[in-house]
Amino acid sequence: MRTAAVLYLNGRRVVVPPEQSGMMLSDFLRYERSLVGTKVVCAEGDCGACSVLRYVPSAKKEVRYLPINSCIITVGQCDGTSLVTVDALAKDEALSPVQSAMVNAHGSQCGFCTPGFVVALTGLVEKKLCAGVRSGACSAREAKNATTGNLCRCTGYQPIIDAATAIDLAKCESVAARYFSKPQAADLRKIRAEALRIETDAISFFAPRKIADAAKALAKDPEWRLLGAATDLGVAVNKGKTRLPKILSLHLVDELYAVKATAKRVTVGARVTLSELRHAVMDRVPEFARFLDLFASPQIKNSATLVGNVANASPIGDTPPFLLVAGAVLHVVGPRAKRKIPLEKFYLGYRRTALKRGELIAAIEFDVPAATESLALFKTSQRKDLDISAVNAAFRIEWANRERTKIKSARIAFGGVAATPIRGFAAEKALAGKTPTPETLESALGALHGAITPMTDLRGTSAFRRVLVENLFAKFFREHSPSSAVGNGASAPR
Amino acid sequence: MSRLPLDTAHTHVAGASEYIDDRPRVKGEVDVDVLPSPHAHARIKAIRTAKALAVPGVLAIYTAKDFHTNHWGTIFKDQPLLADDKVQYVGEIVAVIAAENRQAARDARALIEVDYEVLPAILSVSEAIRQKSFIASKRHITRGDVERALHTAPLKLEGKIVIRGQDHFYLESQASIVYPKEDGQLEVHTSAQHPTEVQHVVAHGLGLPASDVVTIVKRMGGGFGGKESQAAPFAAYAALAATRLKRPARIVLSKDDDMVMTGKRNPFENRYRVGFDAEGNLLALDVELYSDAGAYADLSTSIMERAMLHSDNAYYIPNFRVTGQVCKTNHHSHTAFRGFGGPKGVATVEKVIEAVAHRLKKDPLEVRMRNVYSADRDSPLGGTCDVTPYGQKVENNCLPRLFHDLSRSSAYSEARARVERENRATLARGPGGKLLGLSLTPVKFGISFTTRFLNQANALVIIHRDGTLQVSTGATEMGQGVNARIAETVASELGLERARVRMMPTSTEKNANTSPTAASSGTDLNAAAALLATRKIKARLSQLAVQLLELPEARWAKNTAGLGTEAELLAPGLGRETNDPNEGADWPTGIAEYAGVVFEDGFVYARGKPEKRLSFADVVNEAYLNRLSLSDYAHYRIPNLSFDKLKGQGDAFMYFTQGTQVSEVALDRDTGEVKVMRSEILMDLGRPINAALDEGQVSGAFVQGMGWVTTEKLYYNERGALLSHSPSTYKIPSVQDTPREFKITLLSNDENYANVRGTKAVGEPPLLLAVGVWTAIADALRQLPHYRDAYPEIELPATQEVVLEAMEPARFAKWREASARKPKR
Repeated sequence: MRTAAVLYLNGRRVVVPPEQSGMMLSDFLRYERSLVGTKVVCAEGDCGACSVLRYVPSAKKEVRYLPINSCIITVGQCDGTSLVTVDALAKDEALSPVQSAMVNAHGSQCGFCTPGFVVALTGLVEKKLCAGVRSGACSAREAKNATTGNLCRCTGYQPIIDAATAIDLAKCESVAARYFSKPQAADLRKIRAEALRIETDAISFFAPRKIADAAKALAKDPEWRLLGAATDLGVAVNKGKTRLPKILSLHLVDELYAVKATAKRVTVGARVTLSELRHAVMDRVPEFARFLDLFASPQIKNSATLVGNVANASPIGDTPPFLLVAGAVLHVVGPRAKRKIPLEKFYLGYRRTALKRGELIAAIEFDVPAATESLALFKTSQRKDLDISAVNAAFRIEWANRERTKIKSARIAFGGVAATPIRGFAAEKALAGKTPTPETLESALGALHGAITPMTDLRGTSAFRRVLVENLFAKFFREHSPSSAVGNGASAPR
Repeated sequence: MSRLPLDTAHTHVAGASEYIDDRPRVKGEVDVDVLPSPHAHARIKAIRTAKALAVPGVLAIYTAKDFHTNHWGTIFKDQPLLADDKVQYVGEIVAVIAAENRQAARDARALIEVDYEVLPAILSVSEAIRQKSFIASKRHITRGDVERALHTAPLKLEGKIVIRGQDHFYLESQASIVYPKEDGQLEVHTSAQHPTEVQHVVAHGLGLPASDVVTIVKRMGGGFGGKESQAAPFAAYAALAATRLKRPARIVLSKDDDMVMTGKRNPFENRYRVGFDAEGNLLALDVELYSDAGAYADLSTSIMERAMLHSDNAYYIPNFRVTGQVCKTNHHSHTAFRGFGGPKGVATVEKVIEAVAHRLKKDPLEVRMRNVYSADRDSPLGGTCDVTPYGQKVENNCLPRLFHDLSRSSAYSEARARVERENRATLARGPGGKLLGLSLTPVKFGISFTTRFLNQANALVIIHRDGTLQVSTGATEMGQGVNARIAETVASELGLERARVRMMPTSTEKNANTSPTAASSGTDLNAAAALLATRKIKARLSQLAVQLLELPEARWAKNTAGLGTEAELLAPGLGRETNDPNEGADWPTGIAEYAGVVFEDGFVYARGKPEKRLSFADVVNEAYLNRLSLSDYAHYRIPNLSFDKLKGQGDAFMYFTQGTQVSEVALDRDTGEVKVMRSEILMDLGRPINAALDEGQVSGAFVQGMGWVTTEKLYYNERGALLSHSPSTYKIPSVQDTPREFKITLLSNDENYANVRGTKAVGEPPLLLAVGVWTAIADALRQLPHYRDAYPEIELPATQEVVLEAMEPARFAKWREASARKPKR
């Protein structure tokens, strides 16, 4: 059993002083390592100023450094990984091609967001280099997608996009080539092969190698806080809503990093990030992959997990509506036994779940909808990208005929319209076996309205949410069923 | 004109630029936190600190009585540094906590017990008007006979506009570190636009002479007006702890605290009555502006003045009256924000134009161009149509050209036809799809502080013996590039590369009695002062160079000075003060020449004899050895300002920065989402010092303005607490929101003789162009059948919900009614 977290920082081995293990990585970098290039603005993973590059050794051969938010991850969780910060991107006095491009295209004004953008764009370059693209440039679209998780208040972004598209990939040296090495790989393997247990006055930190050990610890002492990526709990800590004196981290449990996919089902382990998930479902469930692009930033997706998004039980989590229509089942491990919980039985109320003491979610499995089915996922928010939804929705229809004029079965789920993400069972029933005529849709919509209880909050009024529900419902059938001549708000007086 | 990068771009991208919280912690440094009020309006009955003081590491807790003088305020000294008997907004600071570390301070904050007696709060402009809760008296600007003209006008409309606030969302939140020095002196490092005010507030608050407080600003991680006045109290809190504990003290707000505690762009609720004819000529306009100042005056009266002075925007309206009343509410004390009132005046008159055009079934662009300021039209009141309601002539008026050039280069007419055609097709297809809108709008933005005494600056220029320079001014760098522009101005005057000029941190010990870096005027004022100082030295160096060019090098001071065998060379310099940065300058280059000596590429030579040249460094060294001063200081004041605030008449501005934009938006009919498909901007910035930096200001300001008119919604609960206080709930534009096609062009304009080197200020004006995104949204909506007879009433910002409700008013009404009937869940 190891007693201190070990990581590589800008190519050098760092043994984290045990009492610092619960610090947020950004604080550790800034205040303990004097690496003040990494900035903190929002402390909630929304602005990207704190971005750093991280490589997590895995079974995959590819060594790729990915941008993550350092403000909402503890140093202890970075145990066994390799980190590179903005401070280390220039070589001696020479700026990297990404940095030079930002200078020359005037991509930096006040400079406070700049390190985060440089790291995010370096992440994009790493992605290209890893994919074997060693010449040419990045497209504007790639640049925008790579920086969706970075806020800038000065430039209006255009100069940053111009900078990104001016980077000459032929001149770029990969961070991996510079800061990763075989001895480092061997060392990290060794580190990750041994569990970690830290006990100090300030913090207890436990990272077992086996999931059963985690469950046992949780059952024995409910004070342990289970951390997946901590993209949610980290925010709560930073905002003073909770503390983490006893951290149970799953980062050393190898089996949780697995994605298993068959033609019909996908099973995703608790440590699988949303980026990896997106990659895994790209061909099988393209609609879900597309949806993942809209939700969260690259930095969050490189860290956060699907299991975390489900377990946090937010009424407006982005993946639960899809998972609800995709027949998701949770693989739960407890101190004594394993069990499976269908997702629709998982949410008991606002932020309450069916997990019992000592239980944790090891994986989620869900359907791959057949090609003949219609699947559509919607997210509506004040700002299209990287915003918490007012309403999100998932529709899945199995058709009774090839012409898509008759419904065999329907599954509909919404987020943001009740205390939990919900299935619209009554509406589904009203649609099953029917042709989606305006009358049918109207009655299904009526059933849906009866099942939801949208509230008024800072993301919108309840009326707004009701109209969105109507419109998304209508939009789905308009786009997926040629026979339904349904209008906006089929049940509404025109 | 250059396109050089920012002088600090290379350290920015390396993460090597230092901001306040990047300063290394010194031994003994104290962390300072503050306790905000949870109530919008309440009497403080008791504050108990015993439990908080018992937290290990907590050193002290200070309240109002701990300040020597507890009041501050830029215009009126009406605001307590720490709430005394009452709190007047949620987030008002009640106590200051000093501790050994951040966590201890944070823990103590939760343990301070305050007994409040909650009082009724005023949380809207309309409620303030009802209760006559006002700050200062109503101001007027009037021309002609508005009532009569309204009465006789063939057509009339009246209406109102509700404009919400906006958070600055500078990335670096308010931050200061104060180091106590010997004999009671303080060194204050702060992220502030107005170091002089920070110095004064700290000194005043602690009862120190101003001479014992030095304020230093290296840079800010964004300002946008939010650090003009409101940086000062936070610096004072740290200074209080530093003074009492005799230890360095650091305060760095979290983003959440910053957003809750600091003021925003003032919300406005304005009313208008307009009289016009069938051709679209505006005959009379009466505008009443009401602003929400929040709890204290801060800069709100000046902001109101600028709103009034921009209620004409680009239009000559013969009979014109604008009144402005600042309202006192129980919100955070609102403050300067890029545009400073101007955007609220402009949004109002642009809505008037749109409503008039809608009524007349004319293209709004036609109405705009018909009423634009022009010396070529005669006014019914006599004279020409290029005089503002406050009596200032619009000199160097580029507006007609800006309209003409942009409408052609952007193919406005074709776009208009396409938008209407596609919308007809979309509506004919039934529900869903995208509704398109188009709008071409202008800005005319007055440059100068409307408060005359602020229009002054000073600069210190130092040349070292190796021929490198240090320049210090009162300007503060917040990313806008004022330092780069000043450095380029000074360097070009001496024929040097910019890299030879190092811009020094702004410090009140070098540049005192300065104005805030605000009102877009940073470069105008400080580059002018720096240029005047540079020329004083340049004149001496020129006179010296003339003599050196004739003197064999063996007799130069560097070879003889130790011996004293040669008489000293004399160079009396200009021999007089001047206030005109263009005096003696060649107009195309803006560079002045003395004694026939040219400074070019690091060399100095007599005009016409470039083959015989001296290196700049040699001349500088000779100047030193001949005991000629290589440093100088200059003061600059903007001439000819005559605005009388009480009469509402006079020349308020040195000149006007102008521009036009055209934007196309697409509204999602299912979700109300707004996408800006295209924005093209044509700006008149005179003759820029650095066009690339200016373009960066244009794109940044425009996108920031887009945020204000679309997604940035400040959500307050019914008790006046801001709930959208972080980026997860307050949505500034992201990279995906930048207009899909975004083009910025600068108008060629060589004729702004009023300003240093013929430049024009750029910081604020492009933000006002974003009002055109809001009018484009309304333009899309007005093409819906239910708006055939009435222009859509949408508030600003036009959020997704506002847009969807405007598209589906009946369905929203149905559900609003239903939820009003039901008890709350």
